[in-house]
Amino acid sequence: MVENRPFLNFLAHLVLIVGAAVVVFPVYVAFIASTHGGNDFLSGIVPLVPGPHLVENYATMLSAGMTSSGAPPIGPMMINSLVMAVGVAVGKIVISILSAFAIVYFRFPFRTLAFWMIFITLMLPVEVRIVPTFKVVADLGLLNNYGGLIIPLIASATATFLFRQFFLTVPEELMEAARVDGAGPMKFFRDILLPLSTTNIAALFIILFVLGWNQYLWPLLISTDQSLYTVVMGIQRMAAVADAEPRWNLVMAAVILAALPPVLVILAMQRLFVKGLVETEK
Amino acid sequence: MQTKRTVFPNKLLPYLLLAPQMLVTIVFFLWPAGTAFWQSFLRNDAFGFKTTFVWFANYRRLFADPIYMSAFGNTIVFAVLVTFLSLSISLLLAVAAMRVVRGSRIYSTLLVWPYAVAPAIAGILWWFMFNPSIGIVAYMLRAVGINWNHLVNSTDAMALIVIAATWKQISYNFLFFLAGLQSVPRSLQEAGAIDGAGPVKRFWTIVFPLISPTTFYLMVINIVYAMFDTFGIIHATTQGGPARATEILVYKVYFDGFIGLNLGSSAAQSVILMLIVIGLTAIQFRFVERRVQY
Amino acid sequence: MATIDIVDLKKNYGSVPAVRGVSLSVADGELIVLVGPSGCGKSTLLRMIAGLEAVSEGKIEIAGRNVNNAEPAQRDIAMVFQNYALYPHMTVRGNLEYGLKNRGTPRAEIDRRVQEAADILEIGPMLERKPRELSGGQRQRVAMGRAIVREPAAFLFDEPLSNLDAKLRVQMRVEIRRLQRRLKTTSIYVTHDQLEAMTLADRLVVMNGGLVEQIGSPVEVYDRPASLFVAGFIGSPPMNLMPIEIVNGSNGANALGLPVGTDIVGVRPDELSLVEPPEPSIRLDATAELLEPIGGESHLHVRLGESDHTAILSVPGRPDVAEAAKFPVYARVKEMHPFSRETGKRTDVACAL
Repeated sequence: MVENRPFLNFLAHLVLIVGAAVVVFPVYVAFIASTHGGNDFLSGIVPLVPGPHLVENYATMLSAGMTSSGAPPIGPMMINSLVMAVGVAVGKIVISILSAFAIVYFRFPFRTLAFWMIFITLMLPVEVRIVPTFKVVADLGLLNNYGGLIIPLIASATATFLFRQFFLTVPEELMEAARVDGAGPMKFFRDILLPLSTTNIAALFIILFVLGWNQYLWPLLISTDQSLYTVVMGIQRMAAVADAEPRWNLVMAAVILAALPPVLVILAMQRLFVKGLVETEK
Repeated sequence: MQTKRTVFPNKLLPYLLLAPQMLVTIVFFLWPAGTAFWQSFLRNDAFGFKTTFVWFANYRRLFADPIYMSAFGNTIVFAVLVTFLSLSISLLLAVAAMRVVRGSRIYSTLLVWPYAVAPAIAGILWWFMFNPSIGIVAYMLRAVGINWNHLVNSTDAMALIVIAATWKQISYNFLFFLAGLQSVPRSLQEAGAIDGAGPVKRFWTIVFPLISPTTFYLMVINIVYAMFDTFGIIHATTQGGPARATEILVYKVYFDGFIGLNLGSSAAQSVILMLIVIGLTAIQFRFVERRVQY
Repeated sequence: MATIDIVDLKKNYGSVPAVRGVSLSVADGELIVLVGPSGCGKSTLLRMIAGLEAVSEGKIEIAGRNVNNAEPAQRDIAMVFQNYALYPHMTVRGNLEYGLKNRGTPRAEIDRRVQEAADILEIGPMLERKPRELSGGQRQRVAMGRAIVREPAAFLFDEPLSNLDAKLRVQMRVEIRRLQRRLKTTSIYVTHDQLEAMTLADRLVVMNGGLVEQIGSPVEVYDRPASLFVAGFIGSPPMNLMPIEIVNGSNGANALGLPVGTDIVGVRPDELSLVEPPEPSIRLDATAELLEPIGGESHLHVRLGESDHTAILSVPGRPDVAEAAKFPVYARVKEMHPFSRETGKRTDVACAL
């Protein structure tokens, strides 16, 4: 903004308000719907203000679920999602930081090969290899448990590249001073490199947590037992009921619950999240 | 490839450090990809007893199959629409956000969080709003004479998933555009103003060309997103219907492989998708990374 | 005895030689300075001694022990880096303790050494602060503290003062010298600043292009530079190197008593005078080009004779010299340094390298 033209400022605000409204609107509607009783929808007119059934609806979904539609209670599903999200995030961070450390601070045969192998995983999203990966997981006996849910997802190229890039910016002399100070590679990693990486790790954790929580296709294939459903995939069973209209007020309550944790995480750590997102660009 | 000036002398340790990632990569990425590749050249007979090596027959059959080609078409339409809409809207919002001094933090917060919503949930939200009987948007459309029904009308169904996918992607694009715009030196804009260019002209002739690496990067990312991450949207809402109007390639891989149990065809489709991703990623790295040299 | 012996040390990066065969014996408690322009190999040499670069050929012995294959931590050396290399997330105390903790030094001993180093360097009040809260000079002292607490056989300094401003550099130079004298630790110091080298060193090692040009005390190197390079590098303003034709016309070198083969004569700026001295001297016709008064003395730039060759005089006070003025300049014969252009070396060699 170079000149001071009030009209353009006004226009900018307008655009942003409209944009924010459009972005927020669906969730607002969902929240309103989740606070009404089941019969409020039958009249065909959609409510725009909250109704009285907030606590009741949410309590029902958390504990009992909608067993008639084949959907288990949300509470346990959210725990599964939590385990998966944290597991994926922690798993990815741990193995990526170790790999990045190896690639940057050592020279060894096949180093370039290893780098390219990791790079290739960028081009193999799970959707592209679902059938054979499923078979491998099944063969390993990992179907229907947390292992099968988490482990196949934890090789991440983006995390490895982020750490690699960060390590390359760490001054040479720090490592040399540490060496002179008698620190071997693992001591250097633990005492010097890790403390310096905390911001990156935190930012990455946020992104990976959200990614892990929102996993859809993979849990859909792996979890055949209701007790292992994650909340994002479980919702689908509620909404896509073939015969009757789903009970939208309860579905929306479930939707709000399912979307809440990652949104809260992002909002709480917004600055860190943005930094992490823009840095994984490279 | 870059390393540090000084490295640790250990010979065995790096392999141990790399082992976990290599293990998961080989077992769950490379081996299945290879299996898919191999599988795409085979055909199982109807009873699953005999498998024959059929070279490219699976591929030929795919490209001759009108259903597959329509899925291909759907995918292209979907990807282009989502990318174009999402980038335009986010760019507009980012430009507006740059202009606003007060309140930009609040706007950012309001615009950022859809990133946290799973695609499947985004789909369900819009599905709900456009629901012919009780959806509020459907209600408003009826009021202006449009009878919306995505359960029956294939154009409506495609529009629905485009809207849902675009809505979700706005945050990501907005953040990147904002970062890109902020990296354009203010002095260039001032020089342009002195040279007599108004704000709109300045934007298109100075700012927009300078953020082209960001734009290009986002284009590729959005296309990949539209092709793959949107599985959840489709599976949770239209399930590819009505009449396969919203069946995109990634959905078809799932459908043919898990529901239809046609392994050879599904594997061939997987390989084709793999090649597309490799192509897109290669393009991105070649052109984007080269430009980001300053 | 913490002596350091280097025998014919070489370092190649692929096919590019960085160090081309350097031999040096450092006595216990000596402060040796490696000085030379950028790229001469002095830092590479230091890093090989530290163990941060692998040796291509040759031998390094510290305190009589061959350390070619030893890790830096096992060589009993401590290093002070140009960029200080302080661990940013640890306090000053943490930085000082780290090396000792890694070696399993008992707590009481660690505390004693840290306190002693803090007293010597006057960094006591900063012990609980983080490096980013300190100034450049303070960080440099902490870096030295880290080296001191190790009580090593040798200190290695890698251009530690390059990042400081000029005034601070002078101050720290004195402190380093004082410290080293007090602790009597063998030290090898790398710098590209010849003034720093002259003031700190017990002995200088002048390097150029991976080779040693001269080893000697500062006075020796200054009074009798062994090669054209050393002559032009040591001393500021640099020595005037003039072709023999300019100095003595067609009479040649022998007429002045200079050895056969001399075709370049060097005279220090402060040994050219505007007044004819009583001793045997030569006289040159000069034309003034520029006068630089720098306070107590002035640098006078002149053109010699009708040629394009220039020289610099260092004269006391501020003489009143007009631009393009012509006047004679004198140089005593016994203060001339004779060199051969072909070998690049001094022609009146009495001592070998």
